[in-house]
Amino acid sequence: MRKDLIDRIMSVAGLVVRVCVYVMLALPAVIVIVSSFAADNVLSFPPTGFSLRWYKSAFANEEFMASLWTSTYIGILASCLSLGIGFAAAFAIDRYEFPGRAAFQALALSPLIVPGIVLGIGLLYLFAWTGLNQTLAGILFAHVVLAIPYVVRTVLASLSLFDRRLEEAAMNLRAPPWVVLRRVTFPMLLPGILSAAVFAFVVSFGNVTVTAFLTYDDTVTLPVRLFSYVQQSSGPFVAAISSIMIAVTLIVILVIEKLIGAERLA
Amino acid sequence: MQSTPAKPGRGHLLLLISPLLAVLIAFLVLPLVWLFRASFYAGEGFVERSGFSLAHYQHFLFDGYYLSVLVETLLYGVVTAIVCAVIGFPVGYSLARLPPQRRRWRMIIVILPLTLSLVVVVFGWVAILGRSGLVNSILVASGLFDSPHTLLFNKTAVIIVLVQQTIPFMILSVMSVVAQIDPVLEHAAANLRANRFVTFARVIIPLAAPGLMAGFVLVFVIAISAFITPMLVGGSRIRMIGSFIYEQMMSSMNWSFGAAMAFIILGAGLLFTALLNALAARRFVRR
Repeated sequence: MRKDLIDRIMSVAGLVVRVCVYVMLALPAVIVIVSSFAADNVLSFPPTGFSLRWYKSAFANEEFMASLWTSTYIGILASCLSLGIGFAAAFAIDRYEFPGRAAFQALALSPLIVPGIVLGIGLLYLFAWTGLNQTLAGILFAHVVLAIPYVVRTVLASLSLFDRRLEEAAMNLRAPPWVVLRRVTFPMLLPGILSAAVFAFVVSFGNVTVTAFLTYDDTVTLPVRLFSYVQQSSGPFVAAISSIMIAVTLIVILVIEKLIGAERLA
Repeated sequence: MQSTPAKPGRGHLLLLISPLLAVLIAFLVLPLVWLFRASFYAGEGFVERSGFSLAHYQHFLFDGYYLSVLVETLLYGVVTAIVCAVIGFPVGYSLARLPPQRRRWRMIIVILPLTLSLVVVVFGWVAILGRSGLVNSILVASGLFDSPHTLLFNKTAVIIVLVQQTIPFMILSVMSVVAQIDPVLEHAAANLRANRFVTFARVIIPLAAPGLMAGFVLVFVIAISAFITPMLVGGSRIRMIGSFIYEQMMSSMNWSFGAAMAFIILGAGLLFTALLNALAARRFVRR
């Protein structure tokens, strides 16, 4: 009897905790999206009325559009650069035996564990000295560093699932190495490569903890702009901008989910 | 070894690994080394960058005020990590045991806060806990509150927001470890008439301990270096080192002091990790 009771308490408690955690995880995004359609000037829940006026004013706002453009631009460049660098590194880790390989892999993943604020002010010092401050290049390099571990991890995962016998079969059929690469290796790795690229984009697009220390007047990225907006006010205008960021992120996650499955995002 | 498509030569390998080495040495290792050096500058480090002194560390460590902020920050870190472990464990465990088909949407919910910009997440909480936010509406409508209060700018709010943004790390870390535990072990425990609590405490927790530890350390390190959350959710009443560093760098322009505080936080994180590992090692050896 007692055993049944404890089992039941455990399973009910577990269920309650799980539901609470999922609600907590999803809540901020849901609330932001709902309140962005408010009709009046204050952020309230439940929102009063329904309108798209805050989206209209967001897209009419020059500052916001400039930041959106900056973030998109840096995101695409950071994605391409980190993909190139990260893919090469992951390929080397997977296919080559070399001294210090474990250390190399640890280095490639290390940006994940360096606190953003520490890297941010370190780069601030470096850029102040090299004159890269007040430039987009500085922010771009910072984002490449941040995106590299995600690229390396994603590409490594798809390389480890790759069946090498397919390459051997192609070579047995006398395909030259670059044809093997282009017709066999690359197409098979494509989902992993695309996932890595969009992952890198979203890491760059959303970063604030490092970027907050590196932006200047004309190079303010969207999250940093949002940070300064939230410090001043928290109206539905800010909610509309946040919702646009949520939409971008959600699209990216769904794309990755389609390509390689959400399992391997982690 | 299988034969490789292109015969691996030293040149190839160097070509593959040197871009990453160059970028990470230039923009990760160098800034950190530089920052460490800068924390010992004699001046404020914004204009004059020379000299050597321990003044900034002394300023921090011999000032009761800063020390109390450090202690508070570490407490936030510990509390956040404990809450994440307690409520994140059941989620990570159940995710690991679910069939992939049913895992899909749950994984997306877990991963969304990780990929979403931190400011958006924190702003969401400002909207939830604000004067006319969701929680106030519920409390006023249910008659628990006569008039809406602001629920921001207090410790509980900061911890809730820190937990929400760091718990995915805990969940994923637990999940990856539990996925490797053979469910047969749990059935065996059940066959030996252990109830679920005993199975949980004596079988699952010890086996999942490495995942819990990894998640705990990660959550702790992220929480103690937070600055967006204490600034936006905590306001001026909540003091965490992160917001002090931000202020020193961006408005007081005392860069060297900011650098010293950053290394104190980094050192505290490393020390804590080492302590936890030592503790765990002792525990496992004793068994």
